Amino acid sequence: MFALIKREIQDHIVYFIGAAVFSAVFIIISISLIHQYDPKEPPLFSIGFGVPAATIVIFGICAMGATQMYLDKTRKISALLSTLAVSRSRILLARIIAGILAILILFVPLTIASGILLRLLSPPVPMFGGMVFEISVVVFLMAFACYCIGLQTGWNSSALTPSLGALFLTCIFIPLILIKGFGVHIVVILVLFIVASLIRTWHTFMTTSL
Amino acid sequence: MKPLIKGTALNYPVKVFATGFVVLALLSIPLFWFRFACETSLAVRMSDDVKSVFIRPSGLVPPEFENDPNVTYRSIVSARMRFEEKGLLSLGIFDYFIARFPGGRRSNVYFSNGNWMYFDKKSGQIVHRYTEKQIMPDKTTLRKEVQLYVGPEGVSETRDKTLSRFIDPIIDLGWIERRWVDGRWEKLRELILYDKKLRCFYKIDFNQRTVTKGPKLGKDDSNKPIQIGLLSKNNSLFRYLNWSPPRIRVPDEDPNKTGNSRTKFKPIIPTGPERDAGPYLRDAGPYLLVLDETGRIYLLDKGTLEFVRRTPELPGTAGRLPGPETYFGSRNLVTPRDLFGYEVWPLALTTYFFENPEEVRVTFGDPSFYFKRSPARVERKYLGMFAASLSRDGTAMVLAVFDEKGKVIKTEYSRFLKREDRQTSYIQSSKGFFFGAPWSPALTIGKYLAENLHPPILSVASYLTASSFEAASGHRALFFLPNSFIAMMGRERSENFAERFFSALWLILPSIILAIWLACRVSKDAVVVGLSENARAYWIIGTLAFGLTAYITYRLTRPKITLVTCLNCGKMRRPDMAKCHRCKSDWHVPELTPPAWRVLKGAEKVDGGPTADAEETVVE
Repeated sequence: MFALIKREIQDHIVYFIGAAVFSAVFIIISISLIHQYDPKEPPLFSIGFGVPAATIVIFGICAMGATQMYLDKTRKISALLSTLAVSRSRILLARIIAGILAILILFVPLTIASGILLRLLSPPVPMFGGMVFEISVVVFLMAFACYCIGLQTGWNSSALTPSLGALFLTCIFIPLILIKGFGVHIVVILVLFIVASLIRTWHTFMTTSL
Repeated sequence: MKPLIKGTALNYPVKVFATGFVVLALLSIPLFWFRFACETSLAVRMSDDVKSVFIRPSGLVPPEFENDPNVTYRSIVSARMRFEEKGLLSLGIFDYFIARFPGGRRSNVYFSNGNWMYFDKKSGQIVHRYTEKQIMPDKTTLRKEVQLYVGPEGVSETRDKTLSRFIDPIIDLGWIERRWVDGRWEKLRELILYDKKLRCFYKIDFNQRTVTKGPKLGKDDSNKPIQIGLLSKNNSLFRYLNWSPPRIRVPDEDPNKTGNSRTKFKPIIPTGPERDAGPYLRDAGPYLLVLDETGRIYLLDKGTLEFVRRTPELPGTAGRLPGPETYFGSRNLVTPRDLFGYEVWPLALTTYFFENPEEVRVTFGDPSFYFKRSPARVERKYLGMFAASLSRDGTAMVLAVFDEKGKVIKTEYSRFLKREDRQTSYIQSSKGFFFGAPWSPALTIGKYLAENLHPPILSVASYLTASSFEAASGHRALFFLPNSFIAMMGRERSENFAERFFSALWLILPSIILAIWLACRVSKDAVVVGLSENARAYWIIGTLAFGLTAYITYRLTRPKITLVTCLNCGKMRRPDMAKCHRCKSDWHVPELTPPAWRVLKGAEKVDGGPTADAEETVVE
């Protein structure tokens, strides 16, 4: 299993490096936001830099899922691995674990940094304690849901369908945060969406000829 | 009819449900944005006359002031909707932050700006830090920061378990509002709070550092207070209720006149500062307003912390939240959950007696903090209250005036001014919202059609659960639509259930027709691809229930098998089935009989005589 995960990481190392880089970028942005905070002037630079960066990150996560499945389909990686003593379910599981690792590399340092910064700089009033946790959970689940969209659209022989399909569906799905905020409702919807997407991906991967 | 590949049949229903949910989620989001765009455009196009309601004279001012010959403008109470802000601010992301920032409905921090007050869940105590000014003997001012911990059993400067624990306190937010406006807040040290779990009112005196506990509400007591003091919902979105006292013209020689046109008139009796007078005016005198979850508003005696008992003079209730007229009728009994927004404005008359017996000052509300001298005696009289409510969908408003006995004396509903052939008439504001303004009918039809692309079964569920959802959350609903037309009809109570239900089905007729058409398509295709009769029946039922969602799901999950021609019936059949799904004939696999001829290596004589053709087929 570890060998499979290692192979997935090696095959998609660009995404892991990108996750680490963007994590560092977001930490720097959040530090500058808190340090240069002035209620009279909106932090235009940080927003101007942060929003495109966040967009790239979400599309990048989606692209990772799509790439994993697309490369497998076109290069017949699973077909090759299946000739060894490896089951298909393990191949898919290793792929999903690698995806989760990439998302965690991106968000865990950022969450820890935000928590520490707020603890250091906010007044001793429990203002943001619950919010940091809730927002982190929703952002992680949203990123994972977008990754699942990538997994579903990527299993295709054509290069155009995964790219455009993933892009289109991600554009539709991300505004769910605007509609529902960061509360319990969105967590329930995202968890159900992720479970449904994984079932669909698993079923497709297990039943289609490699 | 069993498929030859067993594993796929077991997982097929699971895959269908999973795909169905993915499709439902991804389809609901663009439909939401389309409905949202239509509703926001409708709100923006709404004319001004629908957005405001007023009552003049307000009805609560004593006649000696209201009918004073010097009065130029009589008292007026007005309420104003903010349609434009309703759209974006009703989205979940804004609601999330508004609710969790200090003072929000989900925040335990009541205020925080250098000084703070919050409920500490761990200790169960309210922590309050403030700056206290002390005048020293040399007349210099010393600022001292004080932090107090408040529990049901008392106040302390240290966190102390003997103070006991609050569990779910709600405080009078009007106290905080007055505190912000008043720079000299030292006099505002008496805070009343209610604990929902302990079912008790408490009065905290920060000067004396005492906590007074009121009598516990009995288990059989139906009162379930949800707000005390400042009664409002979504006031960050709708700060719309305003009351103005009778005004008199200020003579030109008045030394207070500053030249600004706004200062030409002044209240007949003082109301506190001209600007930000609201927190002082919004005062119930000796009482505190308590809003019950049923929508009733009770009077709590600030001294005894008991509800005012029913007497012939004072029945105990101050009134209740009024119900707006909505598109499909109005409901008089509304609860706070049914309303998108509400605000209540109590009014009291305060008489101050000073040491000089002839010096008596009468004010509306309680602006005594601005008096230079403290009065010797104060008399407070509750006059009544104004209450404004905004309907669940934000299209209608009502303003009601309740007298001191809790009886409605005036009510005004929002109206749309319709102009036709030089004739004007007023129609209900909800109808004006959907059909009154230019392009409104087109936008309303757009919203209606978007609602009809929603699964019919969810529309029916929205009808049945129309009143179950909290009004504000209905504006960000994805699956159940409490603000759809069918749900509006579901809230109407004028006809019997069957009549209403069938009328509601008429409303989603396009959705039902679409579902039937899609079900026919699915049924035909299911026959072609060879789904079993049971599977076909499930798909037809599913498509009738979920409409477009089920159809897309079907297209994504239908078996993708290349069909072959059946030798028996000549129609296309599945090669992975043991029998033809059309004619049920067995799978006739042609027997592979070896040909009579053979390919020979080198020249060889075939039995039966060599022919020229046979010789030509010989391959070297």
